[in-house]
Amino acid sequence: MTRTPAQLESERGAGPIAERWDLAPCGLVSVRDDGIIVAANLTLAAMTENVGEELAGQSIETLLTIPSRIFYQTHVFPMVKLHGRADELYMTLRTRSGTPIPVLVNAVRRELESGAEVDLAILRIREREKYELELIRAKKAVEAASAAKSRFLSMMSHDLRTPLGAISGYAELIEYGVRGPVTEEQIADLVRIKRASRSLLGMLDDLLTVAREQDAQLPLRLEPLSIQTELTEAEATVLPRYVDARVRLVLEACSPELLVRADRDRLQRILLNLLTNAAKFTPNGGKVSVGCAVVANRAAIHVADTGRGIPPEMLERVFQPFVQVESDDAGKEHGMGLGLAIGRELARAMGGDLSVESAVGRGSIFTLTLPTAAASG
Amino acid sequence: MTLTAEDVIRRNHVNVFGRGTKPMIFAHGFGCDQHMWRFITPAFEKDYRIVLFDYVGAGSSDLTAYDPTRYASLDGYVDDLLEICRALDLRDAIVVGHSVSSIVAVLAAKREPARFSRLILIGPSPRYVNDPPEYVGGFERSDIDELLSTMERNYIGWANYLAPQIMKNPERPELAAELTESFCSTDPEIASRFARATFLADNRADLQGVRVPSLILQCADDLIAPNEVGEYMHRNLTDSTLRLMKATGHCPHMSHPEETIRLIREYLRDQNASTARE
Repeated sequence: MTRTPAQLESERGAGPIAERWDLAPCGLVSVRDDGIIVAANLTLAAMTENVGEELAGQSIETLLTIPSRIFYQTHVFPMVKLHGRADELYMTLRTRSGTPIPVLVNAVRRELESGAEVDLAILRIREREKYELELIRAKKAVEAASAAKSRFLSMMSHDLRTPLGAISGYAELIEYGVRGPVTEEQIADLVRIKRASRSLLGMLDDLLTVAREQDAQLPLRLEPLSIQTELTEAEATVLPRYVDARVRLVLEACSPELLVRADRDRLQRILLNLLTNAAKFTPNGGKVSVGCAVVANRAAIHVADTGRGIPPEMLERVFQPFVQVESDDAGKEHGMGLGLAIGRELARAMGGDLSVESAVGRGSIFTLTLPTAAASG
Repeated sequence: MTLTAEDVIRRNHVNVFGRGTKPMIFAHGFGCDQHMWRFITPAFEKDYRIVLFDYVGAGSSDLTAYDPTRYASLDGYVDDLLEICRALDLRDAIVVGHSVSSIVAVLAAKREPARFSRLILIGPSPRYVNDPPEYVGGFERSDIDELLSTMERNYIGWANYLAPQIMKNPERPELAAELTESFCSTDPEIASRFARATFLADNRADLQGVRVPSLILQCADDLIAPNEVGEYMHRNLTDSTLRLMKATGHCPHMSHPEETIRLIREYLRDQNASTARE
């Protein structure tokens, strides 16, 4: 017997459990292994335009669209039978008049003396369904676009390398006097041309790395490395920049026994990027200090600068590709905003992480963590 | 590339047990893996050598062995079954196939009849999509398309979360296990291809010329393989026996294991008796 909304409303008070079951804000149904409904609540009956009592004895399949019946038989029933439960299943109910209703279903199986029963809670997701579909569509579009971008980046960076090689090659020929006498001023210009093309080449390498990392993971060669040694090597490489920028680089002593498990090339790449960035974003007369620490079985390398800091809303974004904190120092060179994105990817690939703490006006501390390695390794 | 027997056994996560000598190989259907047989195999362990496996792409099979071209049609799955039979050097095996695997078994028996002595076909269908006016498969093409979309919606949640984690953590097999636990199948792309290969196939012509005798187990009220389809199978498969089950639904080996076991036993006993008389 169906009840009017008014009757339902009056019963909605402190009724017995049976009434709460009937009026629960989701469809509730118990079925046997063969799919025959043992009990269904009024909410489910109303949802599917059925009369409550009529549902008992019917197959659960009669409440589903044909595709959802196949899904029930091939996925839901085996899953619940084998594992005792299934959560957040997307299915489509069908009302008596044939209207499809998207629902989410949770199912739990109970072993009873009279045989097993499966309890299903069924929640209508009419609105959620729409934006979920849109999200899936948008996600697919983004994935396709990202794959296209990666392909484009890797092709472009390859193609740009050839003319770049020609530029520095010919500049070198002229510099060495192969084409005739060269003045001091011309040599200075040629050195600038070569430096600029090296910097371009570095950017292309970064682009290629990003494109590749998105395509496939490159194999890592993990080995025990001394932090002290690696930092000293990186320092030697970046020192000329620091001299140019009139920024002081202070390497605090790390224990020579402190070893991390990392890929040497990748670690150097991260360190060089952190140190170069710090030089770039620290004003003349500033200081960059590098220190290390061990927490649990992780080693941490801190690179702290006295630059202008990163606004809170940019803290996570700086690790996204092609994102840069705006610098008002027009005189300094700029990259493409790939270094930190690559650095974090690489650090995570090696089982570590790259993070930042910063406050505007008080500088930034970038922290690279990596798993420590046994000294005997 | 030639695979050794060990390669195949590892690839398809083949499990062999039981105290008998006559081989009985169980082929799981679409949407699940070899676990679905666990209510049936105990009844046959004493008398048979039981062989369980997962098709590549399902359960604990080697996902890296998945080749979209090979598994674009059921032929790839037939290759799996036959390669396992060769790896274990099976002859005169009884093959028990559920749903799509019934057809896989039929195709395998046509290719290498000596490998099989009997086919037990649970809920078989040679074609799921209607082909009016002469054939009723039970479904319209649009139903299959909507099934694919329903699968995608269900797989996408864990595929987004778990699949990338597994790729990044090969040393943590429990993640893959969690995935297998939740869906019996580990990759939405693979599941979707398997669904296409299954539900869009037309193997009606392949029923002709099968020389291995077969038992067709037809469930009552089976939406996926309705009665007409069981009868069609029976009419077109030489030397087939059709048994209508009390069991409803599409997975009697899981919902009604006792009846399933009884019918398989009766069939094998009758067959043995008739073979003995010959």
